[in-house]
Amino acid sequence: MRRFFRRGRLDSERASEIQAHLDHHVDDLIAQGLPRSEAIREARRRFGNPHAIRQEIYEMNSLPVLEPFIRDLRYAFRMLRKTPGFTFAAAATLALGIGANTAVFSVVNALLFTPLPYPQPDRLALLQYHTRSPKSGDNRDVGSNGRMWFAVRDYTSTIDAAVLGGTAGVNLVAGDRAAYVQQQRVSAGYFHVVGIPPLIGREFTRDEDVPGGPAVVILNNSLWKTMFNADRSIVGRTIQLRGESYTVVGVLPENFPVTQRSSFTGGQGVDLWTPLRPSTNGEGGGINYTVVARLHDGINLAQARDDVRNASPHAFQHVDPGTLAELDLVPMQQAMTAGIREPLMMLWGAVAIVLLIACVNIAGLLLARGATRTREIATRMALGSGRRAVIRQLLVESVALASIGGALGLGVGWLVLNALGDLAAQTFDLWQPLALDARALGVTVVFALGTSIIFGLAPAIQASRLDVRAGLGEGGTRAVAGASNRWPRRVLVIAEVALGVVLLISSGLLVRTFVHLRGLAPGFDDRNLVTVSVSLQDARYKDPVAVQGLFDETLRRMRGIPGVEGAGVGLGMPYTRLLNNGMRRLDGPEVDPPDSGQLTNETYVTPGLFEALKVPVRQGRVFADSDGASSAPVAVVNEAFVARYFKKDRSVLGRHLASGKEVREIVGVVGNVEQGSAGWGDFEPISPLPCLYIPVSQTSSAFLTLVHTWFQPSWAIRTSMPFETVVPKVREALQSVDPHLPIAEVNTIDDLRGEKLVSQRFMMILVAGLGLLALVLSAVGLQGLIASSVNERTRELGVRLALGATGSQVMGDVVAPGLMLAAIGVVIGSAGALVSTRLMQSFIWGVTPTDPLTFIGVVAVLLAVALLASVIPALRVLRLDPAKTLRAE
Amino acid sequence: MTLRKSRNAPGPDLLQGTLDMLVLQTLRLGAAHGYTIARLIGQRSDEFLQVEQGSLYPALNRLEDRGWIDSHWAISENNRRARYYTLTPKGRRQLQQETEHWHQLVKAIGAVLSPIED
Repeated sequence: MRRFFRRGRLDSERASEIQAHLDHHVDDLIAQGLPRSEAIREARRRFGNPHAIRQEIYEMNSLPVLEPFIRDLRYAFRMLRKTPGFTFAAAATLALGIGANTAVFSVVNALLFTPLPYPQPDRLALLQYHTRSPKSGDNRDVGSNGRMWFAVRDYTSTIDAAVLGGTAGVNLVAGDRAAYVQQQRVSAGYFHVVGIPPLIGREFTRDEDVPGGPAVVILNNSLWKTMFNADRSIVGRTIQLRGESYTVVGVLPENFPVTQRSSFTGGQGVDLWTPLRPSTNGEGGGINYTVVARLHDGINLAQARDDVRNASPHAFQHVDPGTLAELDLVPMQQAMTAGIREPLMMLWGAVAIVLLIACVNIAGLLLARGATRTREIATRMALGSGRRAVIRQLLVESVALASIGGALGLGVGWLVLNALGDLAAQTFDLWQPLALDARALGVTVVFALGTSIIFGLAPAIQASRLDVRAGLGEGGTRAVAGASNRWPRRVLVIAEVALGVVLLISSGLLVRTFVHLRGLAPGFDDRNLVTVSVSLQDARYKDPVAVQGLFDETLRRMRGIPGVEGAGVGLGMPYTRLLNNGMRRLDGPEVDPPDSGQLTNETYVTPGLFEALKVPVRQGRVFADSDGASSAPVAVVNEAFVARYFKKDRSVLGRHLASGKEVREIVGVVGNVEQGSAGWGDFEPISPLPCLYIPVSQTSSAFLTLVHTWFQPSWAIRTSMPFETVVPKVREALQSVDPHLPIAEVNTIDDLRGEKLVSQRFMMILVAGLGLLALVLSAVGLQGLIASSVNERTRELGVRLALGATGSQVMGDVVAPGLMLAAIGVVIGSAGALVSTRLMQSFIWGVTPTDPLTFIGVVAVLLAVALLASVIPALRVLRLDPAKTLRAE
Repeated sequence: MTLRKSRNAPGPDLLQGTLDMLVLQTLRLGAAHGYTIARLIGQRSDEFLQVEQGSLYPALNRLEDRGWIDSHWAISENNRRARYYTLTPKGRRQLQQETEHWHQLVKAIGAVLSPIED
């Protein structure tokens, strides 16, 4: 084998060796007394033909198997070049199928199956609480409140646990620079539990992690480098955070994978950490924590779960009889991917369908090719080619084709992944770079190769039973094409069309969902609005008076900017998520008892916000400057609120609500505004949520401190001027009131809306892309079928034309079977779609899974494409010259 | 005389097997280049075995491929670059086997061909 690859070099070596032999012989003969010329002749005569000998040695060094293989390969490429249409269709099908599949699977794999980026990630789990009651059913939710956390911390012995809170933007002042940074609060032991200790310094201790503990902070590596020039002596020094002094106690290594509530970010997203200081009231009174646990060595998950379950009595104050409330653990990987598993699996299903269609297409193309090659194969067998040689030849051709497709597929995959990677990064938190997955590529290539080989060999298997004379005869005369051998292809085309229909209907529903969500009436005037948000998680803004002072002064200045028509501040903006808070109805037909209440959405606003947004007032009034801390507490609700909580009697003005300790009178009802998903109930991703509005002047210090750890208030500014000229002036107005308040975000309404639709957009683009791919592939398959039937029937059609049939008659004959097959495929596909779209229910909003418009639209498009795919190859019939066709024997 | 043929059918191809044996035997005397080998075979058989010298080279290629001989380039006694062949241990064992086999063959044929006495 070694010699095979070196045989070229060996041969030239052999030539000089032979020359040396001759030279030695000549030397001897001269020494014996012969003249030089005669000596050379004699030496040559005795030696024989050096070329023949070299040839013999060269062949000895060839491999008996490889040599014909290379010959076959050359022949295969020649054949493929001779039929560029087939080669292009097959290679493109393979490339698209392999490329799309590999890319999508690479994303799915990176998001779902790649182990979490922590040491021994399989030992990590998250706390979940399991509740069951006749009223609300069986629920398992990841998360924890203060009481649950203390139960886990104090009453378990098989796990190391830590707890983390939310992430919020805060203001950092270093020297003369103010920066808006992301701060996450974590408990003592968090870095130990996830297994990545600080690079410099230490993590928080138990005494630092208590209410009133010292102000300490741990920096993320990137912030340490950008803001503090990677200065190692930063540990022990103080920085100004949220208007207070914090002592730096540690710096994390590079690319620390941040644990978010339901996702990861690769070193991005969090700039610094402060102690969580868990408690059982305020933030700790609700499910606002996430508990991370690492199982002790030698403990399995079942043991740890039992241990945690046994701590349950300490976690729940009172459990009503007949209901269940207990703590449990869920593997971290599973918990982290729970939210994205379903859409990604669906995506994967869609891609699998495309791969299936691609394989079906390849099969169809190869079968067609095989049919047209009957004559060639018969000729070869007649000339004495063995069955094995014919099969080997076809095999090599299939492999060559699959290899070309695979190589192109790799390129396509890379392109798709690049595009997909950007999209995925906007949609999901990717904590590792995306790369083409070798296993996925392998599996899809094997699929493609398998299909190519099986269907590429079909003609060979037929050929082995081939009656050489009949083969030559039929191929030669091309009489009426035998119908029997086209059935497999017909079934394939039907399958292809059916699969295409399923995918197209699915993507149609997703498109309709997106259009529906995108087109929902906003409930306010969404043009010419810009929002600016700022973090008020700041020591200087703990008091409602200070907060209101900031709002009043900034709004006064902003309203003075030329072109600004209105401005107001709200804790939440349209299309964002609002605060979930409880409230009780105190009067009217439905009254909530003191120990329970209703969950609703709440936000504080300043006077002028409803006016700036142009939210219509339906009843009563909205807030005015006169609604102050000392005046009677008031509230405004929207129509959805009235519809949900005051079903029986909708006249709500003058009724009273309790929110916290405060009792408020409803003074007005406004129109609904589209908001981001509620986080409770079964609202759409964008929907007019029921909402309770309160004036910021009538809030408490405790309330503001709490909500400002989660939300950043936004200034909404309506302007008749371009944003580029207004935003700098708005910034200026803010800075002139408080130079230490960096702006967190500037958004248009489209930005806010777009953020909420990111995952819908992702799914829509992908599935629609795949649907389109399926459509193209089906069209190629159909086109190929019709084209080859025209080919096979050339003579028959020529005869008919010669006998006086019109072009359109003959064409109709050729096209009709194509349309027939497409129609059968459409019927089967529609039935399939009825089943498959039911699985998509949770992704579909605003349309029913059986949306007639989508079904009819897809069917119409598919039939139109089928018609086109059948007519184009059939047009060849019109160009047939009957005389020529008949003579072409 | 292809490689495959000789591998698949190691039957008593007398001439081929014999030439291999003669080459190996010649190399027992020490390293030699092709011309020397051809000449020595001629000399040692008193010029009885006059092989076409060229046919020596396919044999050398085959023997080297099987690992029975090694080769290297060196300067010959005539001050020319020539390729020298040496016997490998594997080749030495092979030679011993073939020689034994040959003697058995000769003995057997000799016995059959011996004058019939009755």
